[in-house]
Amino acid sequence: MSNLNIVGVGGYAVSNNPAETIKTFALGSCVAVIMLHPPTRSVGMVHVALPDSAVARGNIGDRPGYFADTGIPALLKEMAKVGANSPGNKGMVVKLAGGAKVLDPNNVFNVGKRNILAIKKILWSLGMGAVAEDLGENFSRTVSISVATGQITISSPGKKDWQI
Amino acid sequence: MTTTITRDEIIAAVKKVPLIPTSGARLLQVANQTDHSLADIIAIIKCDAALTGYILKIINSPAMSRGREIASLDRAVSLVGEDMILSIVLSDAAAQLFQADLAGYAATQGDLWRQDWRSAIAAKKIAPYAKQPVNPDTAFTGGLLHDLGKAIISHFLKGKIDAMVAAVDRGDFTDYSGAEQKAVGLNHSEIGYELAKHWQLPEPLPSVIRYHHHPLEGAEALRPLLFVVHLADIISMMTGSGTGADTMRHQIDPAYTDYVDLSRDDIARIIFEVDNEFNTIMSSLSGEGEPK
Repeated sequence: MSNLNIVGVGGYAVSNNPAETIKTFALGSCVAVIMLHPPTRSVGMVHVALPDSAVARGNIGDRPGYFADTGIPALLKEMAKVGANSPGNKGMVVKLAGGAKVLDPNNVFNVGKRNILAIKKILWSLGMGAVAEDLGENFSRTVSISVATGQITISSPGKKDWQI
Repeated sequence: MTTTITRDEIIAAVKKVPLIPTSGARLLQVANQTDHSLADIIAIIKCDAALTGYILKIINSPAMSRGREIASLDRAVSLVGEDMILSIVLSDAAAQLFQADLAGYAATQGDLWRQDWRSAIAAKKIAPYAKQPVNPDTAFTGGLLHDLGKAIISHFLKGKIDAMVAAVDRGDFTDYSGAEQKAVGLNHSEIGYELAKHWQLPEPLPSVIRYHHHPLEGAEALRPLLFVVHLADIISMMTGSGTGADTMRHQIDPAYTDYVDLSRDDIARIIFEVDNEFNTIMSSLSGEGEPK
């Protein structure tokens, strides 16, 4: 059994310890942004709950990971602390999971979709794009990453586990 | 999906659930009255020595202690507020239900408690956005109780999860409640309603429990409240406090716009505020404050 490094809602974690697994539970409309840096064998994940920190009115406290616009830069900064960075973020492998949808024709509760769009836009502005994703649909996801192998496993009650 | 479980068996299981203490039932009744005061709440608790002792024990537990011992119930209630007192009372009265393992949903012990708490906080925060007045305290209590039927139906759903999930995802049912209905003849909202009647909870709480997924089926006069709890439940699922297999497999009723006036920014702000409050409460309740 590897050591579990649990990421809560709005949290983030980085590890280059091959004995660790980074895991986040029950992503509903939230999205896990996963970064893998093969040269340093480092892995990071941020659990984004909302697209834009403006709603916090400057009071995000110690939870930059909660929002896409502050969470992705926070994760990159944390990755850099273990040497997992390079000019223009080249070599960073990004994968996304979560963003389950609420079918709201009034376009108010579809936070999952807005999270996905905001995350992709921010990644694009930073010179990155997701190489794999498991997004949308109508179920919650628990996501774990093995630091040793970089394998990302997604589980959801009533379904067999799968990888991206 | 075939079943040998009958509706009568499930109703019989509801009837076996211990009744909540008289003081608990009375508290719920008073808390739902718009003109009640903290003094009314304190007066009821004072008549129940065991409950008074339990509340003081929780308030003075290491997790909630404010540095010096609180020996007075009046002081305890005014310090932590009515919502916290009500949830402590309910957690005491329905500990077995809140802490059910929900194996029939592939959820874990404590998931129901967390889901209900997050919904309760969300309901209180959404209440002011209702187009007609909704008592925030009633919304809070409704949020706390809305899913208790799952604690009973879960046992009967064991072994059926994969088939139910597949059926919902194929579109055989519009939501997970439909799959529950097909599997065992009742869904968790109806069972929760039966439990509310068994406990003789005052209206509108039984209706909130019964119609939290389908608020338009409730009485017109209650719909603002029903929609508030309905949306709170959706927010709770969206933000990581689900109960396993059914999480995100319930539909939002788009008619909410007739009863609640919420913008995208409102929703985002409510989600963030609920999460902050939820985390604060969970850390103060961790340990002795969680259901026994």
